[in-house]
Amino acid sequence: MFELFVAMLKEEWRVHSTMFGSLSFALFPVMIFGIAFMGAFLIPLMRTTLPAGNLTLIIHANYLMLGIMVGGFGLLGNEVMSRRFGQASFLSYSARSLPLSDRFIFTNFVIKDTVYYFFLWVFPFGFGYILASPFTGVSLARALLLLLTLTLSFLFGLCGVFFLSTVYARSRTVLWLVLLALGTGWGGFAAMTGMNPALFFPPMLLNSAFSWTNLLVSCAVLVILFAVAIVLFNPESVGSEKNYKDAFAPLMNRFSFLPHPPLAAKDTIDLYRSGSMIGQTIFSFLLPLAVIWFFLSLLGPFFPPHGLLFIFAITTGVVASTMYTWVTMFDSFGPYACLPVAVSTLITSKLTTFAVLQVIPAAFIAVVALLSGEAAYLVPAVVLGCSVSFYAVGVMAWLCGLSPNVLVYDVKVLFVYLVLVGIVLMVFTTAAFANPYYALSAVILVIPTWLLVQKAKTRWDAVDPAGF
Amino acid sequence: MTTVIEARDVSKSYGDVQAVNHVNLSVEKGALFGLLGPNGSGKTTMIKMLTGQTRPTGGTATVLGIDAEKDPVGVRGRVGIIPEQETPPSFLTAQEYLEFVAAVRKIPDIQKKADWWFEFLDFADKKNVLCKDLSRGTRQKLMFTQAFIHEPELALIDEPLINFDPIMQDLVKDYLAAYVKKGKTIFISTHILEVAEEICSGFAILHKGNLLHTGPVAELTARGEHLPSYFLSLVRKDRHV
Ligand SMILES: Nc1ncnc2c1ncn2[C@@H]1O[C@H](COP(=O)(O)OP(=O)(O)O)[C@@H](O)[C@H]1O
Ligand SMILES: [Mg+2]
Repeated sequence: MFELFVAMLKEEWRVHSTMFGSLSFALFPVMIFGIAFMGAFLIPLMRTTLPAGNLTLIIHANYLMLGIMVGGFGLLGNEVMSRRFGQASFLSYSARSLPLSDRFIFTNFVIKDTVYYFFLWVFPFGFGYILASPFTGVSLARALLLLLTLTLSFLFGLCGVFFLSTVYARSRTVLWLVLLALGTGWGGFAAMTGMNPALFFPPMLLNSAFSWTNLLVSCAVLVILFAVAIVLFNPESVGSEKNYKDAFAPLMNRFSFLPHPPLAAKDTIDLYRSGSMIGQTIFSFLLPLAVIWFFLSLLGPFFPPHGLLFIFAITTGVVASTMYTWVTMFDSFGPYACLPVAVSTLITSKLTTFAVLQVIPAAFIAVVALLSGEAAYLVPAVVLGCSVSFYAVGVMAWLCGLSPNVLVYDVKVLFVYLVLVGIVLMVFTTAAFANPYYALSAVILVIPTWLLVQKAKTRWDAVDPAGF
Repeated sequence: MTTVIEARDVSKSYGDVQAVNHVNLSVEKGALFGLLGPNGSGKTTMIKMLTGQTRPTGGTATVLGIDAEKDPVGVRGRVGIIPEQETPPSFLTAQEYLEFVAAVRKIPDIQKKADWWFEFLDFADKKNVLCKDLSRGTRQKLMFTQAFIHEPELALIDEPLINFDPIMQDLVKDYLAAYVKKGKTIFISTHILEVAEEICSGFAILHKGNLLHTGPVAELTARGEHLPSYFLSLVRKDRHV
């Protein structure tokens, strides 16, 4: 049934390209390619400040994180099958009227997504680097090796999270046990040897010294994780006619201090009942950040004292700003279209829910500050992280309204986003590096954030809402 | 007589597609007005423009004296709407969805009304089930309830009968006929011509975005013509030009 796979790939391309415009979308891999190509020329320059090994480390960590973010299929499995496909009658859904098992369709879907994101993100980067290699004096073999190890990094993230998310969907207790085992193993190793286990990340080892054994073992681990995840995937639970107790009225009363209590109550119920609240927190927030922390901590010696904490607070802020997608992703404008609700009202209400969710990153940064023995800088770090998160979400709301996914696929929009957020990141990293207490100045971001949100509201009220 | 809907030279194009083409329409208070047309003729687009869900690319639509383009939320606050695709939010129960609608529309004491509707459309046993787990027919019942629960002076309903069985269709037909007797107005899009002939007082025929005819149903009946055959001959003729 290779046809199903090819048809799904075509469909994915069409969905994205009609959503964002063929050109803008096709430019996306081109841009990644461009970044890698140009970036390759900067390497000698960067080497003067940062050893080459650390540069490859950062890139590998990025692709690992990318894999982690793409990999939550098991968590979203039923959601994807019943909602995304059910509503718009995509191929996966129509394929259900054919004599194919749900698991088979789902496997196809996962492989399709993997291949799709590989060509969208991983391949263009490796390719750009390869093309630049003759000019930068890097041997072709090394460039090819980088493509291979980046692909492995991406797949490690993807398969790892895919595995964990199917475990999560089956039993939360088992997931906690697995995470606990991994955590103790990791911590134990670090305590015993005094080394950061991230040093032994197989793709990194492979990158520094190629060996067939390592490659084979890596591939075997990936295949096993993937296969177990597919076996664990549970296609059941599409529609059970369960009775629920009325949660709406009490929640609305509790939210009476917010600007739009009924909308906030609805969002909360959505997040809770769809299982997104806990699942997303683990897989789109805690896990990527934990991984980043370990990789960043390898770079510690190259930062000024306390630099690591603030770099981490800023990264957390940027990742936390994507919580905006949690409240917008599984909602369409449909149910509001027949009610007296303006797009601007909805933006306000989604941002309010977002603001409430910021308790999670704030607590997270605080815990990291305490654990790393930098309690003195807890307040500036939390302020910096949260300010960055609110500012980034303001930019997102202004650029994309209620459809923040556009960000990832529309090159023009992404470019503006990167510039606007990038400048702020640079300014405040510099400030925090100079003196940890300067990080408090990030409070000033309240002003541009407020302006951006006002502009977002007028801008998105003036056009037809998407999603009809 | 007061005019509740007034469309002046309204057009809507999606790129090259002219979904609605310079349409003039007016609907009086108390009418049960049918918007008829084959698939893709622009009925849904017309209703979306009248309710401020999409902006016309030309002309003006005035509903209850409000310009639907300038104040879409104002229009939606006063009318009831059934959209073409039933889309109650997945993770609320039917009961919670009605509470949500009531809260947004600021209707007090919703429960008595909600219970009346659960009984009337015969889905009280489903009221605590999540919307995503409801059958199509039940979802349509919920969307119907949502549009009428605040007893709006005007309801714009897009193919409301399509997922109902014959018994339910009959019930709803009678409800609509009685509703306009109370001095309220209904604007219904449908391609079930027999139903339109039976209950509508006025009608309009759209084809490929063009208005082919508008007028009272009584005018046709007086000429001894039937709506279905009139509709077919008009549309077929238009197809050949
Ligand atoms: N959002 C849209 N984008 C592009 N074309 C559309 C859109 N909505 C409707 N159309 C086109 O407009 C025409 C009228 O559609 P519609 O109003 O849904 O007709 P009807 O409700 O009478 O079946 C069709 O040709 C349809 O393809
Ligand atoms: Mg229609």
